Amino acid sequence: MQAEKSKKIKLSRADKTFNILAFSLVGIAAIICVLPFVLVVSGSLTDNYVILTEGYSLWPKQFSLDAYKTIFGNPASILQAYKMTIYYTVVGTAAGLFVTTMTAYVVSRKEFKYRNVVTFLLYFTTIFGGGMIPWYLLYANVLNLKGTTFVIWFPGITSSFLVILMRTFITGSVPDAIAESAKMDGAGQFTIFTKIVMPVLKPGLATVGLFLALGYWNDWYRSSLFSTSSDTYELQFYLYNMLSASTALKDLTVGTTISIDNLPTQSVKMAMAVVVTGPMLLLYPFVQRYFVSGITVGAVKG
Amino acid sequence: MKYLSICDQYLEQRKFGRKTGQLLTGAVSMMLIVCSLPFVDWIRLVNTSAFFEKQGITEEMASTLRSGYSIFSLLGFVQNSGMGALGLYAMLLLLVLAAAWYFLVSYIWKIVRNRRDADGKGELRTYTAGKTAMLLAALLTVGSYGFVLYANDVAGMKGFAGSWIIGAELAAAIAAYVVIKRMEARERVRCREHGLVRELQKNWVLFLMLVPIAVFFLINSYLPMVGIYFAFVNFNFTDGLWASPFVGLKNFEFLFQSQMGRLIRNTVLYNVVFIGLGNVIQIFFAILVSQITVKWFKKTGQTLMFMPYFVSYVMLKVMVYSLLEYQYGAINNAIRSSGGQAIDFYNTTIYWPFLITLFYLWKSVGYGMVTYLATIMGIDNEMYEASKVDGANVFQRIRYITLPQIKPTFIILLIYSLGGIMKGNFELFYQTVGNNGLLYEVTDILDTYVYRITIGQPLSIGLGSAAGLFQSIFGFVVVMLTNWVIRKKEADYALF
Repeated sequence: MQAEKSKKIKLSRADKTFNILAFSLVGIAAIICVLPFVLVVSGSLTDNYVILTEGYSLWPKQFSLDAYKTIFGNPASILQAYKMTIYYTVVGTAAGLFVTTMTAYVVSRKEFKYRNVVTFLLYFTTIFGGGMIPWYLLYANVLNLKGTTFVIWFPGITSSFLVILMRTFITGSVPDAIAESAKMDGAGQFTIFTKIVMPVLKPGLATVGLFLALGYWNDWYRSSLFSTSSDTYELQFYLYNMLSASTALKDLTVGTTISIDNLPTQSVKMAMAVVVTGPMLLLYPFVQRYFVSGITVGAVKG
Repeated sequence: MKYLSICDQYLEQRKFGRKTGQLLTGAVSMMLIVCSLPFVDWIRLVNTSAFFEKQGITEEMASTLRSGYSIFSLLGFVQNSGMGALGLYAMLLLLVLAAAWYFLVSYIWKIVRNRRDADGKGELRTYTAGKTAMLLAALLTVGSYGFVLYANDVAGMKGFAGSWIIGAELAAAIAAYVVIKRMEARERVRCREHGLVRELQKNWVLFLMLVPIAVFFLINSYLPMVGIYFAFVNFNFTDGLWASPFVGLKNFEFLFQSQMGRLIRNTVLYNVVFIGLGNVIQIFFAILVSQITVKWFKKTGQTLMFMPYFVSYVMLKVMVYSLLEYQYGAINNAIRSSGGQAIDFYNTTIYWPFLITLFYLWKSVGYGMVTYLATIMGIDNEMYEASKVDGANVFQRIRYITLPQIKPTFIILLIYSLGGIMKGNFELFYQTVGNNGLLYEVTDILDTYVYRITIGQPLSIGLGSAAGLFQSIFGFVVVMLTNWVIRKKEADYALF
C-alpha cells in the first residue's frame, strides 16, 4: 500500500536534477578509477618505438605483443617470484586464519573472564608501538631471520582489525544459547569451536581469508627489508625492482634537463605490471562482495 | 601457613579488620614510594678509585659521578660513565619503577576513596591494583639487586653494592602482598567472584587457544617496544646495539634542530587533508550511489570505484610513471600534442601536494564509500517513505535523514584516523615519490624518513628510533585525549 503511494508521488524537479547529477558524477568517478588501468594495459600492447617517440596513450597506436614475448621468452625469474608469492599467500593465509579464528572465538565467549583484557592488549598494539627500527632489528639481528621465507609471511598473519572482524562474524552467526546448550551436553570448548562454530563461519572465513590473501599478494615491503636474494622476492617487489632500475637512472638525471634514450624498454614495464596484477584483477569481480561484506560488518560494529 | 591463619583471624575478628589491613598496606605503599624517590640511594659505588681506573674513567668524568644512585638517577650514571652496556637494564628498571608508582598511587587513591564498585565486584579492583603494585615493587627490588650483579659482571670487578634498603623494601612488599591477598580472598567469597587460578582450571582450553596469538603479538608488537631504548643511544658498530653510549635526549634535540619540523609539518598536513577531504568525498559518493535506482549502473559504478583498493601500491607506481614521466608520460604527451610546454613533474615540488592527494583519493574513495554505504543501507526505509509523503525533496531527505544517521560512523572513523595523524601512508608516499631527494621538501614524511634509515643508514638508528618513538607517543596521546573528550561529551561514541 505504502509502496504504491510513493510510486504515485511524482518526481520533483529537485529529485530529477539530483538523479542527473548522481548518474553523471558516479559515471565520471568510475571512469577516472579505471583509466589508469587502461593506460597500463594499452602501454603493454603498444610498440616500444611508438612509446619512445610519442609517449603512452589510452589506446595502442601501433599494436604489438613484443613486450609479452620478451617476458615469456625468459620467464624463470618471474615464475620464481610467482611461486614464492603463492607460497607466502597460501601459508600466511592458512596460518592467519587459524590464529585469527581461534583468538576471535576466545574473546567472543562471555564466560571467559579476561576477554576484555585480551581485546585491549590486541587493540593497544595499534595505538602504541616500538616503531619500525626496533621491529626490524628484532627480526633481522636478534632473531637472525633475514633472508628466510618465514620472516616474509609471519609478520602478516593477523591484526587486531581482523580479530575484531572475525569476532563480529562469530557473535553474529553463533547465538550464545547454542554454544551454551552444547556445553550442557558435555562438549568441551575445542569441540564447540570445531564442530559448532567453524561450520557456520564460512562467510567470515572467506572474508578474513581474502583480506589476508590480498595483503600477501600486494606486499612488497617485507621483501624490501628482509630478502637477501631474488629467490625469495615477492612478486610486487620483483615488479618494483624492474621499475626502479629505470628510476635509478632517472635519479641520475635529476637536476639536469638531460633525458636518457637508453632506458630499459618501456612496454616491458607495463606488460610486467599486467602480468603481476592480472590474476588478481580477474578474480576481483568474484571476490569483491566478500570485501564489501567485511567492510560492512566492520562498519556496523564501528 | 600458621601466620596466614593468624592474619586471617585478625582480619575477621576485629570489627575494623578490613580497615586495619588497608591502613597497613596503604602505609607500606607510601613507604615504597618515598623509598624510591631520587634522594634515597639504592646502589652505591665501592672501590671507587680502582673501579674508575679499570673502566678508564677520567678525573673529569669522575667528578660528575656520585657515590650512590637511586633507580631514578641510574641512567645519569650510565650516561656520565659511558658504560652503555648498562643502559637498557637501567631503563627497564626505570619503566618498572614508573609502573609500580602508578599502581601504588592508584591503590592508595582507591583506599582513600573507599567506594565499592556497583557491578558486583566490590573492592576487588582496589585489591587487584594493590597486588599488582606490590608485585611490581618486589620485581623492582629483585631487579635492582640483579643490576648490581650484572654491573659488577660487566665491570669485571666489585664496583657496585646494593643498599640494605633493597632488602627492606622486598620484605615489606611481600608482607603487604600477603595481607592484600587475604583481604581479597574474603572479598571474593562475598562477591562470588573467582581469581585467575580458578579461571585457569575452568577455561584452560581457552587459554591454550590464545597461545599462538600471544606468541605472535609478543614477537611482532611487544618485544620491539624494548627497542625504544635505541632512541636514546648513539649507535656505533664497535660497541654494537646494546653497548653503544647512552646519550639521553640528544637524538631528539638533533632531530628537532634539523628536519623534524619539515617531517611533522608534511605528515600532519597531508593527514589533515586526507582525513578531511577523504571523508567528505567518500560520504558524497556514498550518498550519490545510494540514491541511484538503476541497479546495473549502481553495481558497476561501485565495483569500478572499489577496484583501485584492490591493487598494490607498486601498481600505482607504474600508473603514476606512465602518467607523469617527462618524455613518455600520457599527460606530457597530451600537453605536447596541443602545443604546450611539457612539465617536469619529478623535478618540480609544487605539483606534488596535489598529486599525492589525488592518488590517495583514487586509491581510497572506493573503500571509504563502502563503509558509509553500509551505514546508509542500514537506515530504516520508512523514514524516507514518510518524508516523501510529506513532500520532502531529495536534498532535504539527505540533509535531515541521511547525514544525521551517518554521523556516528563519521565520528568513529574520525577518531580512528586521528590516532594515526603522525603515521603517514607510507606505501603511497614511497611508491609515488621514492628516493627522489629533490621532492623531499614537500613529500618527506616521518615514515619515509625512518624507512630510509632502516634500509640504508645503520649509523642513524638512534635518530630513526627517536623519530619513531615520537610518532608513537604523539599518536597514543592524541587517541587517549580524543577518546577522553568524547567519553565526556557523548559516551556512546567512545572507543573504550
